[in-house]
Amino acid sequence: MTTVTNFPQPIRETVKAAGETPVFKAGDSVGISERFPVGHYRVPMYMRGKRGIVELILRPAAINNEEEGFGRNAGSKGYYYRVAVPLAELWPGYSGPSQDRLVIEIFETWLERI
Amino acid sequence: MNPTENLVKRLPTDMGGLPAGRVQQTEHELLPWEKRCHALADVLDYHKIINTEEKRRGVEQLGGDMVGALTYYERWIVAFALILFQKALLTPGELAKKMDEVGARHAR
Amino acid sequence: MIISDHHHDHDPGHPKTGDESMPGYYEIMETAVRELLVEKKLIGPGEIRRQIEVLDSRTPALGAKVVARAWVDPEFKARLLANGRAACEEFGISFYDDTQLIALENTDQVHNLIVCTLCSCYPRPVLGLPPDWYKAKPYRARAVKEPRVVLAEFGTDIPENVEIRVSDSTAMVRYLVLPQRPAGTDNFTEEQLAALVTRDAMIGVIKVNLDNRHTP
Repeated sequence: MTTVTNFPQPIRETVKAAGETPVFKAGDSVGISERFPVGHYRVPMYMRGKRGIVELILRPAAINNEEEGFGRNAGSKGYYYRVAVPLAELWPGYSGPSQDRLVIEIFETWLERI
Repeated sequence: MNPTENLVKRLPTDMGGLPAGRVQQTEHELLPWEKRCHALADVLDYHKIINTEEKRRGVEQLGGDMVGALTYYERWIVAFALILFQKALLTPGELAKKMDEVGARHAR
Repeated sequence: MIISDHHHDHDPGHPKTGDESMPGYYEIMETAVRELLVEKKLIGPGEIRRQIEVLDSRTPALGAKVVARAWVDPEFKARLLANGRAACEEFGISFYDDTQLIALENTDQVHNLIVCTLCSCYPRPVLGLPPDWYKAKPYRARAVKEPRVVLAEFGTDIPENVEIRVSDSTAMVRYLVLPQRPAGTDNFTEEQLAALVTRDAMIGVIKVNLDNRHTP
């Protein structure tokens, strides 16, 4: 009987498709874009231009929900990330403790590395 | 900056951080039609006739006056009608005619 | 002001009183849309009725069972925290809306609270339908801005040395707060523990304690 002792190693010849690899990882500092799409969006106004830390990559990659709102329910996928932003960063004069934070899912196209 | 820009940029449903009063811990048992409306949303999403994201966008596009004045499920059913028209699955005329017919069933 | 401060912002979904036998405008619209969709064979004739049965079967009692199991079984709790949906599926709780679930564990260091500022995302498969206040402006506007004040309105005081984490749902993941097990429950059965866990504790606006036992 074969005894398996090693974890599988990635096979180098396996090429990933575009969008299959998350751009960000947990711990990355990210900025949320300061743009103002009209018609439909899933990044609330209070988050625009804020900076946070990626807490979690949501898997698997999925459809951009802002496009899905207009019926584009297939095609290129990307990753959503749970991003944590201190409440003090969101609200000037926040009176609670500095560790209080907000965590929100943001699609990859809204995030920039900072 | 154009003074009306914010009306366009901020969806009427985007409420995070806006001034608001105390939480009123109200709840109500759904009326039968409201429950049917919720079930309809789930069935439409399951069939991908109107997916959940399209429903959200449809409610947003009702605009601030309707979003403020209509109750939760009232917004949904109006949004569904409009989306079905946009997708050419129903016409306004068909719905109007059927609504008259339904209304007439209950007239004295 | 973009959002009119209409009474519906404070009391959404309150049924309008009137002639009980005559359906209102929106009920007529709902009936007409549904019948047309069935006539056009876009939906089947029994699908709405079946989905109502699905909805009626989803109540906070399901979430309470999951929480109670996590309290008594550390391996289940680990599975719940690793994949909330799969752990609920062990109980036969299906995710008919194709969402994922993340269980957010409250600890001595962190208190979690969930909200959907843009609409009304809520873990319906495991909790049932959300209360009106969760879908209304005051909660959605203020839970992300002044969570401690909102919690105080629910009678919940979180000490300053405990971090508050507010999760705003925007995509396909839903959240269930895993409240802390209250002191004094060491001898409770799983059923007795589940009876302590209320919907509001799984939203995160209250803690579970021995005073808020509810009738199922």
